[in-house]
This record gives sequence, C-alpha cells and structure tokens, in this order.
Amino acid sequence: MNPSSRFFYHSARIVLGAVFIYASLDKQCNPWAFAQAVYNYQVLPDALINLTALILPWLELILGFCLILERWMMGASSLVAILMTIFMGLIMFNLARGLDINCGCFSTSPEEGPMDKLTLARDGLFLCLALGLAALTLYKKNGYDKNQIDIV
Amino acid sequence: MPSVVLRQNLMKALQEAGFILLLAVAAGLAVNLIRPDSIPFVQDWSAESRMAEDGGNSLAISLPEAEALFRENKAVFLDARDKALFDEGHIKGAKSLPWYEVDDHFQQVVPGLDRQTPVITYCDGESCNLSHELALFLKNMGFAEARVLVNGWTVWTENNLPIETPDK
Repeated sequence: MNPSSRFFYHSARIVLGAVFIYASLDKQCNPWAFAQAVYNYQVLPDALINLTALILPWLELILGFCLILERWMMGASSLVAILMTIFMGLIMFNLARGLDINCGCFSTSPEEGPMDKLTLARDGLFLCLALGLAALTLYKKNGYDKNQIDIV
Repeated sequence: MPSVVLRQNLMKALQEAGFILLLAVAAGLAVNLIRPDSIPFVQDWSAESRMAEDGGNSLAISLPEAEALFRENKAVFLDARDKALFDEGHIKGAKSLPWYEVDDHFQQVVPGLDRQTPVITYCDGESCNLSHELALFLKNMGFAEARVLVNGWTVWTENNLPIETPDK
C-alpha cells in the first residue's frame, strides 16, 4: 500500500469508527425514541421496528470499535459500507417522498430537525469513505504487498 | 473473474460480518432484558395503538368530530408540519406550530389560547408522528382537550373541507 493509500486507510477507519461510536450512543440511551425514529422511516414491518432499534445501535458501536482497534477489518469495513449504502438509500427515498421526519442518525431528539440535503451530503461523504475503506481493506489483504496481481 | 485470493477474502469478510452481526444481536437483546427502560421486542405500531394514552383513552379524533368542531368554531387547529409546508396550504384558520421548532414558536402561538378549548393537531401521512408528539406536549402544558387528527392534511383535503393556500 502506498503512503497516500495508507493515509486514507487509517484516516477513514478512525473517522468512520468515531462517527459510528458517536452515532450509537444516543440511540443506546433512548431505545424508545429511536424505535419511533425507525418507525417514522416507514420502510420496515411493525415486527422488525423494535428489534432494529435494539440491535442497530449495538451494531454501530461494535463496528466503530472494530474500525478504531483495527480488528475484523474485512467484515467490519464491508458491513460499514453496506450500512452506509442502506442509510443513503433510505434518506434519498424519504426525501423523494417528501417525508418531514427526523434523520435519527446521531440524535433521537426532535431538536436535530428534519433530514434535508445537507444530511444527504454528509452521509454521501461517509459513504465514499466507507466504500474506499472496504475496497482498500480487501485490496491490502489480497496479496498486493506480496507483488501478486489479481484480475478482478 | 475474481481471483482465488479475492474469493477467500470475501469469504473471510462474510464470516467476520456474520460474527459481528451475531454479537450485535446478542448484545442488543440481552441488554434490553436487563435495562429498566426496556422496550418490547415486538409491538403494535398501528395508529390506534400509537394514539392510546396510559389510561387507555385515545388521543385521536375522527374527521366528523373535527369537522363539527371546526364548523362550530369551537376548536383551534395546530399544524405540526414544517412552516414551509404550512405556507403551501393548511386547514382554514389553523396556526402553525412546527413540532421541530416548538420551543421557538410556542410563546407566539399558545398565550392567546384558552387551555380548556379543544386543540386539534395535525400533520400529513398515516404514520406522521409530529402531531402526536405535539398533542402530548400540549397535554403536558395543561391543554386537557388536545387531540390528534391522524393523517389530518390528507383526509381534510380529500373531503374538500375548507383550506387556505397562498392563492386562496
């Protein structure tokens, strides 16, 4: 991995790790409010709303620590990229539908305000970081350093 | 065509992701069992259920009831949606009290209201929660007759009831 790729790899994993840990905290503390936020997205059946509200914050927390501590990086970076893609899709879907709802991304409080194009831009940036990190993680580990060339 | 190494890496990513997911499921469910403010794993999210108060009474008001109060001028309608949506069109005579900015607008809207007057909050969409949150907030502020017209803007306009728009 060249120095600039290495810089991106470490920067991206630390930034995304911190973001995921921070994003999980308020949801952990307010499961009921987060369940409301999940419900407001109107994409899940009733049976999955509370389960999602209970499990997703833990998933974000564990992924955040995996990235910061550089553990299980292949699985963690892939999951972060998948999650960010889903989050982006949901935000775009609801903006297109004109739903006036709280993002619930970092806070369950209504003071966070409804999601808007800035929310989309912010998550777009995180998605780019996540996709780059996942690609680099697989690239870094697939033998490039041993001068192997893979045709993908 | 993916190389053998990449295929191995993807398999490893899948295994690690599965393990992380299992860990998150176990932690999420286990912690919910022991925390004091736990929530049920599965619950009813229907409009009737969401509008139920602790005593079993419903905050929801039916359209005919709301319309009757409107015709008799006996209720105040509060629009919980964003101000921009209110400006595009709202129930005739309604006041704007966006839930997301309730702290900013509360002092402008509420002082003129009698706390015994029925207050009907509304937003748009069957699952819109803004009006429900606003009604609960108003109840806490002493408005005993705060009610919610579920999916208010849509049902009101679908029944051709009086509205105000910028060109009307």
